[in-house]
This record gives sequence, C-alpha cells and structure tokens, in this order.
Amino acid sequence: MAAVKRVRTDSVEGRPTEDAVLVERSRNGDQDAYAELVTRYQAIAARTAYVITGTAADAEDVAQDAFVKAYYALDRFRAGAPFRPWLLRIVANEAINRRKAAGRRPTVGLSVVEDRASGDTALSPEASALAQERREVVLEALRGMRQEDRLVIAYRYFLDLSELEMADALGVARGTVKSRLSRAITRMRALMERDQLHDA
Amino acid sequence: MTRERMSEQELDATLAEVGERLAYPRPTRLADAVRARLREPRPGRWWDALRSPRYAFTPAIATLVVLALVVAVALPGAWAAASQFLHVNGIDIFRAPAISAPAATAAPRATFAGSLTTLDDARRRSDFTVKAPTEARLGAPDEVYRGLSPDRTHDVITLVYSSRAGIPVSRDAGVSALVVEFRGRIDEALFGKVAAGGTRIEDVTVNGGKGFWIEGEPHLFFYRDEAGNIWNETLRLAGNTLLWEQDGVTFRLEAQVSRDEALRIAASFR
Repeated sequence: MAAVKRVRTDSVEGRPTEDAVLVERSRNGDQDAYAELVTRYQAIAARTAYVITGTAADAEDVAQDAFVKAYYALDRFRAGAPFRPWLLRIVANEAINRRKAAGRRPTVGLSVVEDRASGDTALSPEASALAQERREVVLEALRGMRQEDRLVIAYRYFLDLSELEMADALGVARGTVKSRLSRAITRMRALMERDQLHDA
Repeated sequence: MTRERMSEQELDATLAEVGERLAYPRPTRLADAVRARLREPRPGRWWDALRSPRYAFTPAIATLVVLALVVAVALPGAWAAASQFLHVNGIDIFRAPAISAPAATAAPRATFAGSLTTLDDARRRSDFTVKAPTEARLGAPDEVYRGLSPDRTHDVITLVYSSRAGIPVSRDAGVSALVVEFRGRIDEALFGKVAAGGTRIEDVTVNGGKGFWIEGEPHLFFYRDEAGNIWNETLRLAGNTLLWEQDGVTFRLEAQVSRDEALRIAASFR
C-alpha cells in the first residue's frame, strides 16, 4: 500500500488533471479522483447553495449532499460536457428543494461581511457611505427576491459564470439567459423601489 | 441619495461589491465528508440482498420477479385479466404466486438505510416535508434514519418504533412499526411488490389520496426506477403495510395492526 499522498496531475506536464479525466475516473469508482473534484468545486458549490438557503450551515449541508448525489448521478453525465455547471445544477436543485421542504421558514438571511479596510478607501467618506447604502439596498432586495431570480443574478455577478455555463447550470437555452437575467434585474429594481418607498 | 434610481453601471458595480462581501460558508474538508458518505454501504441494491444469508430465498424470488415481468410484457392481456397487476399513481404491485417466505430465523434487528439522526434534524435537512404520526400509541419514533434512495437522487427517511404496547414486534425486522418516506412523484418510480400467496392487496383512500393496504405474509418490496433498474429499496419485512402518496411524497407504514388502525395512524401524520 503506497501511503504517499500526491496531487493528481497529468503525468507529463504536471498540470492539474482536467475535469473530464477526473470525471471519467470517478465514474469508474475512483473516489480519490472524485475527492479532487470536490476540493476543486467545494467553494463555488457552497456559495451557490448559500445564495439560495441564506444560511452558511444549510449551505454546507446542501453542498455535501449535492456532491454525494452528483457522484451517483455520474452515469447520467454527458461525457465531454463541462462538469462545473452540471454540478451547480444539482446543488441549486438540492438547495431549492430543501428550502421548499422547510416551507414556513422566514425569508433568506443572506448577510455581508463589511470589512473596514475595503476597496472604498480611495473614495471620499461621502462616496464610501453612499456605496455602502447602495449595497444595503441591493442586499435587502436580494433577500426578498424569488430564489430563481437570485440564482441568475448570483451566477452572473457573484460567481462569474459565462453565459454558456449559466445556460447549462440553469438548464435553459443559451439564448434565454439574457432575458432571464434582465427580468431578474427588472424585478430586483421593482423591489428596491418598493423598499425605498417604505423607507421614505 | 439612493432615493435616486441607480444607473445600470451603478447597479452592476453594487451587485459585484455585494457579491464580494457575502458571508459565504468556506468549506475546507468537504471532500473528507463526501468520501465518508460514499463509503457508507449503498442501500437497496437488490444484488446486495442476495449476498445476505438472511435472504437465501431471494434468488428464487428475484427470478420470479423477472419471470413476472417477462409474463407481463409477453402476455399483457392475460396479466391484466388475472387482476394480478395493479397500477395506480405510478405504483405497480406485482402479485407473484406462492412464494415461500424468507427463512423464519429470527433476526435480532434489521438495519436501516442511512445515518442515525433525530426527527427535527431530518425535518430540517431533508429535501421534502417530513411527516410523522402523532397518534398516541406510537408516540415519538425511537430512531430516525436519513439516507438516500438507491440512485442517490433523493432523501429517504425511516422512522423506527421499536416496541409498542398492543403492536406485536415483527419477527423479521424486530420492531413494532416502521415508517418510510421519500419524495417520489408520479412516473418517477414504479413500485413492484412481490406478494406471497396469502397476501391481500386492497385499494384504500388515505388522507383523501390513493393508497394500498397490503396484508398477510411478510413480503419483499421491489421497485423499478425510471431507467428500468430493479431495486429492493430495503427489506424490512414488517408485515402489514399501508402505502400511500401525499403531496408528492410516498409514505409507507409497516406494522402488525388492522387496516382501520393503520388508516387512523396515517390520518395522524403531521
């Protein structure tokens, strides 16, 4: 038994092994290969889950369950397709199902970490205060949004998915992504305006 | 100041800023947790059951299932005419003639799929609305397990009631009552049940929906998934069974109680 732990790389060039190779190995029951995929995508999986569940603990549970389910669904994975959006689709489904099951739970508790040494240091105190105020308005609207809309916005603005990846992750045609996003933004603006009317 | 509508650029920039600041979880050892979960025995593959000495008769039964399927395909008319094939709500029940019951050696206690948890935790973490009987005689479950369906696409919750006054402890599973529930939509899974000769299957209405009351010998549950694979989800063999679907969730109550008692218990699910 070789107890040497090594980073999985393509033998020749020492580059990280491609997803497709790891997926293929995982499919053949290589759990080390799958662990590598988990490590690679745990952060984005947890972030995606968090956008929907709104609590860190639930998001970690969801991510874990989604990885287990994805492993056993690898048979249905189309060889050669990108792994990341396929995984995110499973994560999002899992998170949405869990929110549905929780039913009566109050709205999402998304929160932000406002670090003092932010990138705003270049701004005047007034501009910095304005930026923060805007963030609060946007965050409040995010909390009140339908989770499907929040997911589209998160994929585009928080997780930097390409349009193609978004289409895969959302399970829609590529041409639909733009309209989904713009509808989500429109509804977000409506919420922001409503919130501000309440505040006024 | 923000009373003014943000420009598109301002909104884009603000969204990006919010995205950078969200209090995301930062999982670090998820791979270990996932690996541990993958090492758990995969419940319910029917060929696993064949390996267990408790189910020495299972190969014969499995053969009969396959034969039954072949007959069903080859002679649908005869099959239907014999009224041995029921199909309601995506649940198929196959009645196989004269199957010897599994060996009567008393198993101390069946094992259940998934990991031991609590009802509250199962309710919090499952991908469907978990319900439990509130009927006084059953009270709270002694054990709750949360596992995954054989294809690992949805959660399966098992509630175990070890020993309850007035409800015999099942010879095979070593418990008084079992409740198994999972998210199952119509057309998602077909359930096949191999019933021993003396088993009675009856259509019943459970909480306003369709259900089955299955009474008699201990029996095996098989079902086919959408890909056509045959699974035995778990062999619990607890005797009389009430099977029903409610709000997209399939419930199964197994206990040696009368049909009316089972319906009363089912009505108490909350």
